[in-house]
Amino acid sequence: MATLEPAVARRRWRRHDRGVTAALLSPPLLWLLLFFIVPVGFIAAYSVGAISIFPTDAGVVSFEDWARFLSGDTIYTGLFWKSVRMSLTVSVVVVILAYPVGYFLALCASKRKYVLLLMIIAPFLTSYLLRVLAWKVILGDSGVVNSLLFSLNLRSSDDPIQWLLYSQFTVMVVLVYVWVPFVALPIFASLDGLDRSLLEAAGDLGAGRLKTFWRVTLPLSLPGVVAAFVFVFVPTIGEFVTPLLVGGTSGYMYGNAIQDAFTRGIDWQFGSVLAMFLLLVVAGLMLLFGRFVQVRSVAA
Amino acid sequence: MEIAASKGALLLMRLFFALLVLFLYLPIALLALFSFNDGDPTFPLERFTTHWYADVFGNQQLINALIRSTIVATVSSILAVGLGVLASFVLIRRRFFGKPAVSALLFSPLVIPYLVFGVSLLVVFAAVDRFLTDSFGVYIGLGLHAVVVGHVVVSLPYTILTIMPLLERLNVSLDEAAKDLGASPWQTFRRVTLPLLFPALVSAFLIAFTLSFDEFAIASFLAGTEPTWPVFLFASLRVPSQLPQLIAVSSMVFVASLMLVAAAEIGRRLAARRYGSEFTARGMV
Repeated sequence: MATLEPAVARRRWRRHDRGVTAALLSPPLLWLLLFFIVPVGFIAAYSVGAISIFPTDAGVVSFEDWARFLSGDTIYTGLFWKSVRMSLTVSVVVVILAYPVGYFLALCASKRKYVLLLMIIAPFLTSYLLRVLAWKVILGDSGVVNSLLFSLNLRSSDDPIQWLLYSQFTVMVVLVYVWVPFVALPIFASLDGLDRSLLEAAGDLGAGRLKTFWRVTLPLSLPGVVAAFVFVFVPTIGEFVTPLLVGGTSGYMYGNAIQDAFTRGIDWQFGSVLAMFLLLVVAGLMLLFGRFVQVRSVAA
Repeated sequence: MEIAASKGALLLMRLFFALLVLFLYLPIALLALFSFNDGDPTFPLERFTTHWYADVFGNQQLINALIRSTIVATVSSILAVGLGVLASFVLIRRRFFGKPAVSALLFSPLVIPYLVFGVSLLVVFAAVDRFLTDSFGVYIGLGLHAVVVGHVVVSLPYTILTIMPLLERLNVSLDEAAKDLGASPWQTFRRVTLPLLFPALVSAFLIAFTLSFDEFAIASFLAGTEPTWPVFLFASLRVPSQLPQLIAVSSMVFVASLMLVAAAEIGRRLAARRYGSEFTARGMV
C-alpha cells in the first residue's frame, strides 16, 4: 500500500467501502424487492392482464377492468367513497379522543406519565380479533347490553335491539376502539418533545392558556396529529376483518370487496384493480403527508 | 401559574382519561369474565368454572394452530431481526448515494394496507406455481412458508426502528478502539457491537414476534390449509358455543405475552447492571 499513490489508495478504499455497504444492504433490500416490490408489481400487471394465472385468463393486455371500475358504473366506486367517509370519521374521532390524553400525559402528569401511557397502549397488545369480538359479545342480540335489558325487564327477550350490531355505526365504534391506543403514542411523543419554555414565553408575553394552546402548542404538535391521522386512516381504509365480524351488509367496506374478489368470487383480475387502486390512493396520501409522518414515533 | 392547564381543565382531563381507560378495558374485562362463566357469553352469569381453560388442552386443532403460529412467529422474527440489524447498521453508520430512497423503501411496509399486501403475495405465489406446474410439473403452494415471507416484510420496519436508536447511541470510538487493538471488522462486530446491541435485538424480536403471532389479514390469504392461530380463531368464531373456550385461550396467550415482555425487561436490566452503567446504551452518549 505504501507504494501506491495516495489518490489511488483512497479510491481503492472508497471502492472497498462501497462494497461493504452494498454487501450489508443487499439482504434486506433483496428481501423487500422479491417479496414486497415484485408482488405489488404483479398485481399491477395482473390488473391489466399482462400475466395469466388461471387457464381462463386471456393473457392479453387490456384496460377493460380499469375502465369498468373508473367509469363509476359499478357499485365499487360508491363503496370506495363510503369507506373513505367511514375511515375519515374514524380517524378524526380517534385523534380527537387521543389528543387530550396525549396532552394530559405529556404536559400535566409529570410523575407517572410513562406508566399511564403504557396503560393506554397495553390493550393494543391483546389480540386484534379478540378486541373486535368483545364488541360482538357486548352488542349482539343475546349480548351483554340486550341481556341486561332483558333481565331488568326493560325489554322483552323476543325483541332485542338489533341495530346495535351489524351496522356501519358499529363498525366505526369498534374501529375507534381498536385504534385509540395506537394513536396516543405519536401524539404524546410530539407533545412530550415540546420545549416547555416556549409555553412559558407565551405566558410571559401575555397570552392566556387558551391562546397559548391555539397559537403555540397546537401548531407545534400538528406533525404528530397528522402522523396519527395517517396511521389510522391507512389501515382502516383497507379494513375487512371488523366489517366481517360486526358490520353485516350495511357495514360492508371496500376492503371486503377486495377480499371477496380473491376468496369467494374468483375474479382476481378485477380484485387486483381494486387492490391496486387502494394502493395508489394510499401512496398519494403518503406523498402529500409523508413528510409529517415521523416513522420513529410508532416505535417507542 | 401552571401554564398547560387551569385547575378546571386539569380535572376535566383527568376525568376524560379515566373514562377512556374504562372504555378501553371494560370490553376486555367482560371477555375475561365470560371465560370463567359456565355457559354462553350472556348475562345473567351462570356458575363459576375453569373448564374452558382445561378443555383447551384437549382441542388438538386449536393446539396445532397455536404451534403453527409459534413456528411462524419465531422464524419470521429471527429473519426480521437479522435483516433489521444489517439495515440499521447501514442506515446509521454508513454514508452512501440514494440513502433517503433506501430508507423510504425499508419503511414503506409500515403504510401498505395488509389486505393489499396479502393479496399481492397470493397473486405471486399463484403465478409462480402456474409457471412451475407448466414447466416442471411441480409447485410450491401456500402454507406457513408463505406466511413467514409476508410477516418478515411487515416486521422489518419495526425491528429497524427498535434497533436504530440504540445503535445511534453506541459510541463509534468503541469500534475504533477494537480496530486499533487489532480486531477485524467481523471480530469487532461479533465481540463489541453485537453484545452491546443485544437488548435492542431482544425487544426487536419480541415486537416482531407479537406482530406475527397476532397477524390475521396476511395469514388469511397465505396460510392455505395450515391455519395459524388468528386464522383458526376467526374460522371458529362462527360457532358461538366455542366462544368461551377461544376467549380462555386468548387470555392465556395474553398473559404469556405479558410474562415474556416482563422477562425480557428484567433480563435487560440485569444485563445493564452486569455491564455497569458505562457500557449500557445511556451511559455511552
